[in-house]
This record gives sequence, C-alpha cells and structure tokens, in this order.
Amino acid sequence: MRDSTKTAIVLNILAVVFLALAAGFVLKAWAQPAPLQQIPLVDPEFIKTATVRVSYSELVSAKEDLSDFDCYGCHEKGKPPTLRFDDKHMLIIPEEHKDIVMAHGRNNRNNLCTNCHDENNLERFQTRDGRELKFSESTELCGSCHGPTYRDWDAGAHGRRNGYWNQDMGPNLRKDCVSCHNPHSPKFPGRHPAPPPHILHPPANPPPAAEGEH
Amino acid sequence: MPDQPSSGEHNLDPGTEGMTRRSFLRTSAVFGTGLAALAAGLSPLLDIENFPSLQEFMQKYYKELTPEEMKKVLERIEREVEKQYGIRPHVRDLKPLDGVEFVYCLNLTRCIGCRKCVHACVAENNQSRNPEIQYIRVLQMENGSFDTEKAVHDYNPEKVPEKGHFYMPVQCQQCKNPPCVKVCPVHATWQEPDGITVIDYNWCIGCRYCEAACPYWARRFNFTKPEIPKDRLNPEMDYLSNRPRSQGVMEKCHFCLQRTRAGRYPACVEVCPTGTRKFGNILDPNSEVSYILKNKRVFLQLKEELGTSPRFFYYFDV
Amino acid sequence: MTTAIRNYCVFLVRCARVAFVGDWRYYAWMGALTVFCLLGLNAYCRQFAHGLVTTGMSDQVSWGVYIANFTFLVGVAAAAVMMVIPVYIYDNEELHDLVIFGELLAVAAIFMCLAFVTVDLGRPDRFWHLIPGIGQLNFPASMLSWDVIVLNGYLLLNVHICGYLLYSRYQGKKPAKWFYIPFVFIAILWAVSIHTVTAFLYVGLGGRPFWNQAIIGPRFLASAFTAGPALIILALQVIRHVTKYRITDKALLTLRAIVQVSMIINVFLLLCEVFTEFYAGGLHIASSKYLYLGLHGYHKLVPWIWTAVTFNLTAMVLLVLPVSRSLKWLNLTCVLCITGIWIEKGMGLVIPGFIPTPLGQIVEYFPTLNETLVCFGIWAFGLLCYTIFLRMAVPILQGELSKSNERGELPGTVLH
Repeated sequence: MRDSTKTAIVLNILAVVFLALAAGFVLKAWAQPAPLQQIPLVDPEFIKTATVRVSYSELVSAKEDLSDFDCYGCHEKGKPPTLRFDDKHMLIIPEEHKDIVMAHGRNNRNNLCTNCHDENNLERFQTRDGRELKFSESTELCGSCHGPTYRDWDAGAHGRRNGYWNQDMGPNLRKDCVSCHNPHSPKFPGRHPAPPPHILHPPANPPPAAEGEH
Repeated sequence: MPDQPSSGEHNLDPGTEGMTRRSFLRTSAVFGTGLAALAAGLSPLLDIENFPSLQEFMQKYYKELTPEEMKKVLERIEREVEKQYGIRPHVRDLKPLDGVEFVYCLNLTRCIGCRKCVHACVAENNQSRNPEIQYIRVLQMENGSFDTEKAVHDYNPEKVPEKGHFYMPVQCQQCKNPPCVKVCPVHATWQEPDGITVIDYNWCIGCRYCEAACPYWARRFNFTKPEIPKDRLNPEMDYLSNRPRSQGVMEKCHFCLQRTRAGRYPACVEVCPTGTRKFGNILDPNSEVSYILKNKRVFLQLKEELGTSPRFFYYFDV
Repeated sequence: MTTAIRNYCVFLVRCARVAFVGDWRYYAWMGALTVFCLLGLNAYCRQFAHGLVTTGMSDQVSWGVYIANFTFLVGVAAAAVMMVIPVYIYDNEELHDLVIFGELLAVAAIFMCLAFVTVDLGRPDRFWHLIPGIGQLNFPASMLSWDVIVLNGYLLLNVHICGYLLYSRYQGKKPAKWFYIPFVFIAILWAVSIHTVTAFLYVGLGGRPFWNQAIIGPRFLASAFTAGPALIILALQVIRHVTKYRITDKALLTLRAIVQVSMIINVFLLLCEVFTEFYAGGLHIASSKYLYLGLHGYHKLVPWIWTAVTFNLTAMVLLVLPVSRSLKWLNLTCVLCITGIWIEKGMGLVIPGFIPTPLGQIVEYFPTLNETLVCFGIWAFGLLCYTIFLRMAVPILQGELSKSNERGELPGTVLH
C-alpha cells in the first residue's frame, strides 16, 4: 500500500473519530458528575440554647405558673412533714412527690429531704450551718456544700455563659445551678448525639471495622 | 507491510506541488471535525451558573481595599446573596477590638460528645449542608490515651457519653505560629491582631496547600457549590467570616468573628449544654479564660511539640 | 532590526508548517494524542463547571493524581540537566546535540507541570493573584511561591537555550558562547533547585510526619535522575527509529550509566527510609504502615507500592548486570524504572501523607474517570508538544531546515 493511501486512511479514520467524540461530548456520554448523597438536615430544635430545666427565678421573671412551689397548698403550716424510711433506712418517696428520684450524691449521702429543705418552713431552704435561703437563692444553697464548683461558677469556669463576653458591650448571662441540674438527681442523663459526619465520596464497600491495634 | 522508498513519491510539502482536491477536502474534513470536537468538548462550560462578575474577578486584596471600596464590595455581596437566596443579608466588615486577644478553653471533663456545637456552628456560619462542611470534629477518645489514631469519628450510640471514653472536639486552633499562614502562596489567609486566623474568600485560589499544612485538620475546601437551605440562612454576616462562600475556596472556624468582634460569644459556646466551652479575652485578667488558665492545672495544647502555639487550651477540672 | 524580526518570524512560520506535515504514522500518533487532549479538555471543562467534586479528592485526601503527576514531571524536567553536565562539564561530545533533545523534554515537562497545577486549583481564574507586583505572592515564606518562580524561570531558561541554539543552527551561525553557556550553568543549578523546592513543599509541613523528613529531598533527586534519563533513552530511540538522525549507542550507554547510579542511590535511600520508620516504630509511622502493610483494614495502596518496589529492584539488578547493555533489555529496564518511580512518587508519596488524617481518620482515595481523563489529556498534550519540538528540531540539527533553503522545499520525514 502506498504511503499516501495509508495517510488518507489515517486521516479519514481521524475525521470519523473526531465526529464520534463531538457526539459523545454533546450527548454527555461519559464521566458525568455523580449526584451527591442525600444528607438529612438537623432538627433546628437540636441547636436551641434553652437549658433542659427552668429555675424558680426564671419562672418568676417569665411570670409563669408557680403552683409547683406552693408547698402549703397541700402541707399544713406548723406541721413538719413526716419522713418515712424502709428497713435499709432508705427514704421512701411519698406518692405525691413520686416524680422525684433521690440520687444526689453516692453512697446515699443525701438520703434526707431536710438536708436542704427546712421542715419547719417548707418555703425555705436550710444550709448545714443553719442559714435560711429563699427558692430564688437555690444557687447559694448548692454552693454551701459545693465550694470549689461555686467558686468556678462565679468566675465563669463552671456552667455555660451566654450573651456577651465583653461586658462593656452587653450583658453576660449566667444561669442558676438548677437550670441545668436536677437538684434531686444532679448527674446529667445521657443524650442521643447528632448523627456522625459524612465523607465526600463514601466507598462502595467499606472495610470491616477493625479494632485499633499497633 | 514493507515501507516504500519515499523520496520521490512521498512529497509532503503542501507548498510546492499543490494538494489534490481530494487531499484538500480530506484535510479540511479533519480540521473541521476536529474543531467541532473542540467546540463540543467545551460544552460543559455551559453548565456554569453564577460566573464570577468582572468586579469580583478584579477585586483587590482585602488589606488593600479602601473603606469606600470595601463598602462597594459589601454591597455587591449583599446583592449577590439576595439574588441567590431571596433574603437581603447584612454584611459588615468588623475590625478587631483593641486590647483583645481571644483564647478558647475547653473542659474535657465536661464534654459529652453530643455534637450540638457542630450543628450550631453550621447554622450560624452558613456552611454547606451538601456536601457537608463542619468546622468542628468531635473525637471519641479512649480513656487514658491521647492517641488520635484510636479516636472514633463516626460514633453514634443511643446515648452519650459512653463509658470508658472522653470526647474531644477539634476545630481551628488559631495558632500563634500558624503553618497555614506560612504556606499560603497568595496571602489569602493571615492572622489578625485579635488572634483569629482569617481567610479572604475572594482572594483564595484554592490550591489547598493550607489544608495539607494544618496539623489539626481544621481547614475545609468547597469541592463544589455549597448548598445552604434558604430558610436556614443566617443573614447577619461578615466579610471575613460567615458570608456564603463560593466553589473552589477554603474556609474554617473563625471564632464567629461576626459575633465575637461585637462582644458576643461564639455559637458553639452558647449552645453547649454542659458548659464545656469557654471563650474570652486573655488580656483581660477578669475574664473566665484568664481565671481558668490561672487556676486549673492539667492543660493540653494539641500537638504542642510542633511549635504551632495554639490558642486552644484543653483542660481537666480539679 | 526589522530584518532580524522578519527572519525570526519566517523561521517560526517554517517550524510551525513542518509540525503539520509528516507520514501516516505521524498523523496517526498526533491524531491519537489530539483525541486524548480533547477528552481531557472536555473532562476539565466538566470539572471547572462542577468543581473538584468530580475528582476523588476530599477534605481528608486533598491532593491526588494531579499533584502526584506534577511531582513526577518536575523530576523529569530537572533530569534534563543530567545530560547537560556530561557535555559541558566533562566535555562529552557524544551527547552534545542530544542535550537539546533533553532540554526540549524539560520544556514539555514544565508545560505539563504547569497544566497539572492549574487543573488542581479551585479557582484557576484567580491565577493572577500569584503574579508578584500585581498579586500578593507570599515569597519567601511559602514554598509554593518559590515553586512558581523557579518553574517559570526554568521554563524561560530552557526555552532560551534551546531556542538560541536551534536558531543559530538554522541560521548556519556559530552560537555566541556568552549568550548561552552562562545560562547552561545556571540551568544546571536551577534544575536541582526546582526539584528541591518541590520536595520542600512536602518536607516543610510539620503536621505530616510522613513528609517532614530530611530524606525526601535527596530521594526526589535520586528518583528524578533515574526516571528522567530513562525517558530520554526511550525518546532518543524513537528519534533514531523515525528520523535519519544519528544517535550512537555510546550516547545511550552514557545515559544508562546515569540511570544505573541514580537507581542504586534511590534504592539505598528507600532502605534508609524503611529502616528509620519501622525499626523504632511509634505513632508517627501510621502513614508508612498504611502504605506498606495496610492500616485498620484499609490497604488499597499496598499492592501499588510493592509493585513499585519490585520494579525498582528488578531495574536496579538489570542495570547492574551487563545484560542491560543490549537495547532490548535496556528498554525494558527503562520502562520498569519509569513506572516504578511514577508509582512511588505519586501513590507512594502524595497519598499516604494524607492517610491517616492528622486527627487519625482514614479515608481512602481513588481517582475518578473524569480525573483520569484530565491526566491523560495533559500527558497527551505534553507528548504532543514534545513531538512538535522534535519535529522542528531534528531537521534543523540535520541541516535540512535552514536559512539557506528558505525558498526551497520543506523536509519530509525520510524513513529508513
């Protein structure tokens, strides 16, 4: 075959290939970007900054219903409530207060209502050294035993601060202990975390989860 | 096929003999189809939405913009965001406050790994939901070891915290000696006087050298156009922080400077349910961070041995 | 002055015309390369429109085949200088003209390097931010800024040297020594610097212990001086086969000697690296473990690196033995060298630096089809450039394309 014929054939093939390429490009025949995986959005409730509980002071400022704190609505004035214990000297929670779980401190250290509540005046707290505190002063009550934590809270190192770090520009807000901690069982229960992070190109077959060993 | 001797038969110079019509047509066909393939090959460019405007292309470096030019830039950004999301945002350019150096303290006794900080940050800073960009990464560590190789990133139990583990959230450490600033070839990222390492999103060329350089895996890249649901857009924006970014640029935690330079706490601090996160001005002796650094004892700066001097202090309570 | 410009323009036009003329093999080769260029261009347009999500890269592995190819090709470009040294320092006349072929390869390689870096950028439209004076080039702190300067400088150096020597030959004049010899010596130093600067891109990152090691710089140079001359050996044989240009076996064997010594050093440095990592162990060897042994169930790169090590060791043995003095074996050895080092520098250096991430996460990487098409496109473009350069240079060096026959015929490719 003459070289010029070979050249002609090559050029003809080339023209056809270019045309096929052009068609392939226009028809988007290969390597199209894969659609991204669907990642569900997080519930906006999850990132609200409201605390799990509301303190007495917050209820008062919000003019909410304070009937939960009206002890003498049920109890008799001048008559301290009777505490009953079982045979292991564990406090028996009365039916009317069955929502309370006593779990304040380990080894049953705080197995007595009157450690904090004044049996002679149910609308007041009492500290170990005999001071009387109002419902709105519950944080002082906690601090009367939990000294280091109270000191940290006062300085801003314990508990969350909201608002302004720069107090010249706005208010720095802190919460009472009871806005986060249940005074009867202060340890936080676990909570369900937000979903784990996603990677950009999830592999088709991820390897079996292996224990970290070195 | 034996090769023919070519001297006489095979004159390839188009200038001397003159091409035959057939060979001319053939050559034109090749050129023509080649050009058609070239034009067709460029067709994906038609898929581009939001081609950068000339002003955006020519925009000067942040530090060279005069206040009037910056005002025009901010207005242009507000218009662009309104066009895209249907909400007119408020884009400012807050300057660092005097006498302020930010420091972050994180109490590892308290973190329960709930990831509220991750999502509060995403919402506040208009991060892409798909592909997912999250500045904060919470590591589930094993008690007794700081070996990140044993860290679990994708924990998802019914309840946290899980026994035998502690949780360590990691985000940009705003290092005093930042490797990312050193390696950026165009000065698109730098450290501001209040300690925050910022990025000029309109200057970044997207080479990702900073992402390779960061020892804390703190920097994120926009591999495609970020997706922010319109109803979740945070309209209070700043030029250097949470305005929507474009495809092809870097981003990272910037200590919510749209809040912190206005005196407020970052979003991650405000949402944490256990008070793990502490933020403030280290130059103020009465701030909570000064108190912590003065009174707490066990401190960890991640990868301290690298000499990055992070402004993030992890500690355990007394 | 205007005659000089006019003459130069005529020269350029004639060179350009020659590039479009050849035999059927030339058209087939150039046609195939053009097809791959178009495929690559189309793939890149897709990437430009949709972003780097069309690649396999992620926040965990943020550099991939683009930077891997860039790293390999900077080495090839630097290795062109390996031919310059014997000629100009040791006065080896055999290689004299061949230096031009080597430097033309360097120019094509630098074009490819610049292309690979550009396709890797998230915002290539902002390239002007890199220009000193107009943009904000972060020199001298950022090693990338050094790379921008030295690569473009090297390109200009080589274009000047080749261009001047070829144009002088075209004009039938003896080139003025002062106009190219100083540049040649600068180019020798510059070549070492381009690859050292590229090595320092990785070495300077304290947060990545796999890269933050002094041996990376010497390793880069050793592997570059193996793969580069190996490529040149293959290229010279192609020239020998398709043109009448005389290349002696002695020239090829001189290059073989360079590849031989460089590969021995390369293997020795590999041994040093592996011992340093695995003897003492520790947390910082996680990336090495991932590469050579697999880590926590992830082992995609293990077959690659062991293939590369096998190729390199086999090539070293063949180079040491006299059997590789025969061209058939030499060609096989060169292919082994080039492939082994390409894998080592690409998959074996860039990717393991990202796995595991600094926070211990393992996310593996594999290039997508789109990414691979872009790579093929750039390689095809580089080969296209190099073929055109040779298509112009060989006739000039043989005297067939010269000022004296300006009005005459253009040379065809004469077959053996």
